Amino acid sequence: MTAAFASSRPGVPLIDGIDKVLGRARYTADLDRAGALVGRILRSPIAHGEIVRIDTARARALDGVIAIVTGADCDKTYGVLPIAMNEYPMARDRVRYCGEPIAAVAAVDEETAQRALDLIDVEFRALPAYFISKDARAPDAVLLHANKPGNVEREVHHDFGDIEAGFAAADLVREHRVSCAEINHAQIEPHACLADFDPVTGRLTVQDVSQVVYYLHLMLARCLDMDESQIRVIKPFVGGGFGARVEVLNFEIVTALLARAAGGRVFMQLTREETFITHRARPQTDVVLKLGMKKDGRFTACACEVTQRGGAYAGYGVVTILYAGALLQGLYDIPAVKYDGYRVYANLPPCGAMRGHGGVNTRHAFETLVDRMARELGLDPFAVRRANLLHAPMQTMNGLMVQSYGLAECLDVVEQASGWKERIGRMPPGKGLGMSCSHYVSGSAKPIHFTGEPHAVIHLKLDHDGGVTALTGAADIGQGSSTMVAIAVAETLEVGIDRIRVISSDTAVTPKDNGAYSSRITFMVGNAAIDAAKNLKKILIAAAAKKLEAHPDEIDCAGGIFRVGRGGQAMLSFKEVVAAALVDEGAISVKGSFTCPVEFQGGKHRGGAVGSTMGFSYGAQVVETSVDEATGMVTIDKVWVALDCGHAINPLAVKGQIEGQVWMGMGQALCEETRYLDGLPAHASFLDYKMPTIVESPHIEAFIVESNDPNGPFGAKEASEGALAGFPPAMVNAIVNAIGVELDEIPATPDRVLEAIVQHQRKVKLAQKKARS
Amino acid sequence: MSARLSEFQLVQPARIEDAIAAFVAKPGARYVAGGTDLLVNMRRGIVSADRLIDLSGVAGWGSIDADAEGMTIGAGVTIAALARDPIVISRYPAVAQAATSIAGPGHRNVATVGGNLCLDTRCIYYNQSEWWRKSNDYCLKNRGDTCHVAPQGKRCHAAFSGDLAPVFLALGASAEIAGVDGRRRVPLSDLYVEDGRAHLSLKPGELVASVHLPAVLAACAYEKVRARGAIDYPLAGVAVALMIAGGKIVMLRIALTGTNSRPFLLADVDQFIGKSVDDAMLHGVDRLVQRQVQPMRTTLAAAHYRRLAAAAVARRVVRRLAGA
Amino acid sequence: MHEPSAQYKKRLLRIKVNGRWREDAVADGCMLVDYLRDTAGLTGVKTGCDGGECGACTVLLDGLPVLACVTLAVRCEGRSVETIEGLAAQGRPSRLQQAFHEKLGAQCGYCTPGMVMASEALLRRNPTPTDDEIRAALAGNLCRCTGYVKIIESVKAVAGLAP
Ligand SMILES: Cc1cc2nc3c(=O)[nH]c(=O)nc-3n(C[C@H](O)[C@H](O)[C@H](O)COP(=O)(O)OP(=O)(O)OC[C@H]3O[C@@H](n4cnc5c(N)ncnc54)[C@H](O)[C@@H]3O)c2cc1C
Ligand code: SF4
Ligand code: FES
Ligand code: FES
Repeated sequence: MTAAFASSRPGVPLIDGIDKVLGRARYTADLDRAGALVGRILRSPIAHGEIVRIDTARARALDGVIAIVTGADCDKTYGVLPIAMNEYPMARDRVRYCGEPIAAVAAVDEETAQRALDLIDVEFRALPAYFISKDARAPDAVLLHANKPGNVEREVHHDFGDIEAGFAAADLVREHRVSCAEINHAQIEPHACLADFDPVTGRLTVQDVSQVVYYLHLMLARCLDMDESQIRVIKPFVGGGFGARVEVLNFEIVTALLARAAGGRVFMQLTREETFITHRARPQTDVVLKLGMKKDGRFTACACEVTQRGGAYAGYGVVTILYAGALLQGLYDIPAVKYDGYRVYANLPPCGAMRGHGGVNTRHAFETLVDRMARELGLDPFAVRRANLLHAPMQTMNGLMVQSYGLAECLDVVEQASGWKERIGRMPPGKGLGMSCSHYVSGSAKPIHFTGEPHAVIHLKLDHDGGVTALTGAADIGQGSSTMVAIAVAETLEVGIDRIRVISSDTAVTPKDNGAYSSRITFMVGNAAIDAAKNLKKILIAAAAKKLEAHPDEIDCAGGIFRVGRGGQAMLSFKEVVAAALVDEGAISVKGSFTCPVEFQGGKHRGGAVGSTMGFSYGAQVVETSVDEATGMVTIDKVWVALDCGHAINPLAVKGQIEGQVWMGMGQALCEETRYLDGLPAHASFLDYKMPTIVESPHIEAFIVESNDPNGPFGAKEASEGALAGFPPAMVNAIVNAIGVELDEIPATPDRVLEAIVQHQRKVKLAQKKARS
Repeated sequence: MSARLSEFQLVQPARIEDAIAAFVAKPGARYVAGGTDLLVNMRRGIVSADRLIDLSGVAGWGSIDADAEGMTIGAGVTIAALARDPIVISRYPAVAQAATSIAGPGHRNVATVGGNLCLDTRCIYYNQSEWWRKSNDYCLKNRGDTCHVAPQGKRCHAAFSGDLAPVFLALGASAEIAGVDGRRRVPLSDLYVEDGRAHLSLKPGELVASVHLPAVLAACAYEKVRARGAIDYPLAGVAVALMIAGGKIVMLRIALTGTNSRPFLLADVDQFIGKSVDDAMLHGVDRLVQRQVQPMRTTLAAAHYRRLAAAAVARRVVRRLAGA
Repeated sequence: MHEPSAQYKKRLLRIKVNGRWREDAVADGCMLVDYLRDTAGLTGVKTGCDGGECGACTVLLDGLPVLACVTLAVRCEGRSVETIEGLAAQGRPSRLQQAFHEKLGAQCGYCTPGMVMASEALLRRNPTPTDDEIRAALAGNLCRCTGYVKIIESVKAVAGLAP
């Protein structure tokens, strides 16, 4: 399949954008909170220990305290994976990380709530706490969870192809070890939840920052032991997610528990510190990667061992550790791949899914090793990648389907745009160029909560006003998914986008959707939207045919005008056709759905569903950097990035997503990390968690490559994660190019870089000495 | 909803004397200028006050007066005003340079010179929420009895991280201090003490009224090392004032911030007088800096890094000023 | 502490908000951001951090961008505060707001009110800023979605145009 380069269509602004720029978009904390109590959470001061006693009597006696809940009020575990729910909304008999919720208070105001927390007495019996994987895995370590020996939540061993033969066939075999720090989503909106419980009807309404209202709905029913029909979850505007809000989070359930206990309305907004502690982001990861390469750059084999420090509870862990291995494939042609993964428990806040879920740190290890080996073999980094391209359609050894593949074009585009050929090897001192490739799934082809239902459903409503309302459970969290739905419906119906209204994520109104994760929305919900619009169009065409006294097959519909035959004389406007259709039907509701066929749902091996998708996006990028060798400061001068998203349904939004994800990769590469001091977060503010400011953020030149996926909506694939993983390795490769120093750790903070420079100089001196003697 | 501050009363005096009187009259009173340090700390619960004395309404507090002798900068001058003052830019460009590097534009519009000079010291065990510090049994600087950075020691090593002080020190500034007993003028370096818990030599009720910069012929520059390009304190900041005549150094001052509990002038730099700026001299500067800075584990960046970076930047700034 | 304190009485704050004078009883310890959001109902003003670190709460105080989360409300006595809600005229977005919309300077939109206010202050002072001047003026405003590229494009789109 050949790919068309870039898209010249400009795209459209977000349909809810005007609300945001006017300041009238209401996020959870902006909702009407009349009469709401204030909820606050008491958090564990210790990293690991048994709860001997909780006494809330003094707090309850405080004037203005309306409700207090503790672990005793909820004996149901929750979690995103049905197979690994091992967490209570509030700790019951044991705390496993600093900051874990223990109890919560609803009071008339913030001060009272805070004072009440101070009056809750908790007695602990401390247990040894582990903050690094190695300590947690030590033979004599106390187990965080009795059923997980060695504090390993999940071990994965996958072996595809003949690994030994692969390495034997190589001209060069190299192994290296890299370590990637834990990072956080750090969406700017702090977590918040507004819960209403009506003791008369027994109904619960929760408005919240969720990326997946359906999961929250499920977990609320489970933890509050309520019938699902009595619950409604609504997502207002959401200030970013990046994976933070895919899993149900403890504070959401706690707020609902408080609302029920108080018999009313409770508002909870977490501080920035608490938002960081809630975490669920990318784990600290150690990767040992071994690669075999032929003289011409072809890969012969890849062996990879990954250890993820997952934090205190399962969360998404099993999926993350599986992704890390699965995504070794699907980007290049590698004859043999062996993967060993270990997801380890530690006494830290639980990790989870974050943009680029699972793939980023292994990709970093892979793409930096490829460059090391290319240097040794005297090969150009672009040439090595080109020597290993896949040919779509194909299926990888681990059962992943590649139906469209625009990586070759991505490489061409960034090589040219960056002037690579002319500039590489001729950069001034301290400046360097680096490149790398990456990919990501367009939605997990097998949903986490597998029920057998379609993967996405859209409802369309059409009434006397001639407006089409699309109802979707897909959460727009700023990525523009509602706009995508509007475009998909409008283009299929061939009407203007202003005729479409999108209502998203209200479980009382919108159909169930698996939500905003793994970049599934455009592919799955987009296809469902097109299906729904086609179904609606059929009804309209039938009505037009009847009115025009023609056969439906004769009706031509373009630009909202219905005629008999192309250029026919008799014609009806959209509104006339709607009126005609309503005569027979009354207000019209139609549905569209999408299901990933089983052959796309991954390999048959254990864990084979993770990584499976209908289509991979592909990205290539070049990073230009300057390194100040005196201070170790790294500056990113410019980035050129191309992403094959199949087809850009909204090129403006796609470019925004490409820039945003590359920049987020830059944050991880350059300066972001979460660190703990004896289990207490040392990063839990925007001063200490150093996400880049606008000052050091470079211009990112984004190019769209369109490979037209055969199954994607209008040929589209995902566009918001695939290029993220390419940044860290491209930057590290650029640093090597600039100063000849390899970094084994990211982020490349000035202290790490300076240390690497000093070590490097030491090594060089030693080598010189040896050579002389 | 941001965490409410503990309740206090704000008084807004119009004269320095009234401010001082208001301070002395009420134990637990605090001065507030721009509030960009104090109010953040109050929100974290590390500082509390029954009374805040707002200095912003004090007459004459925010003026910059320049004459042939030099320049007097009122403590109430905002960092933004300082950064864009044409005389500051032309006569003391390093001051404008340092001012522009402080926090972000929203802070600088209200933050003051006085607040910057009297900025609280910082430490990863200190600049944390009440829950955090309580979980960690507090520390010497605040409610506790050990220092987590140097548990054997008896002092607090929290780092002074203001950006203006080193430049002022390098320029030979003095501070006018007002108190119950009237006013006194001291060399700026006398304002500071090497103690993270009490890093200012001010007596109760005393405040910094203004800073005086002598007219200088030396070239001066400031450079700070930090992880990000904005809203970031210096991991190390170095100001250098250098005068060269006939290829030889006739005056040199080097001042540092971010590495110790006070900003300080590097001692023993007189050894370079009469020398030229060459590799040996720069090496000497490097060694002096490395020997005199005392970075401790008060930042997430390694202490050793702050030492190396301070030295590297000192070398670089000296070389740049010498045009070598 | 739901019983009003006798010791720390609220005081009457007279303040001009988006061009209109208001009078409200305000405690000395009340931050401007809480006053604007909870008392004046201007929820366009956002909070993103625990104080002074993100710029989401940026409003204009006498025309200058300041952080409402570390500004005491009572210190704004007699002064003029402008929020994102004050930029639109008769419900229509200003040019700058329109540009943020059309150029996708807002993705999730949470940093947007602060970004727009900081940009507005810049453009009033300097109608034709360079990229670096835009970067300097927005240095205190964090955005997690855009990578800032389209924010710079949004500001540049109105640079040089009359407001
Ligand atoms: C996110 C963030 C980033 C920051 N980055 C930097 C940075 O990079 N560099 C930097 O230097 N600072 C930084 N700061 C700190 C602060 O903004 C500045 O130092 C500012 O100049 C402090 O001035 P202020 O007027 O706001 O001080 P205030 O907060 O009003 O006062 C600070 C302290 O000084 C005392 N004080 C104030 N004026 C006087 C006086 N005249 N005499 C005696 N005592 C007085 C107060 O009682 C208080 O204890 C940052 C702050 C934040 C929140
Ligand atoms: S240096 Fe020690 S005493 Fe001082 S703030 Fe840090 S931990 Fe506390
Ligand atoms: S809310 Fe973050 S700076 Fe004000
Ligand atoms: S648009 Fe989401 S934080 Fe800026």
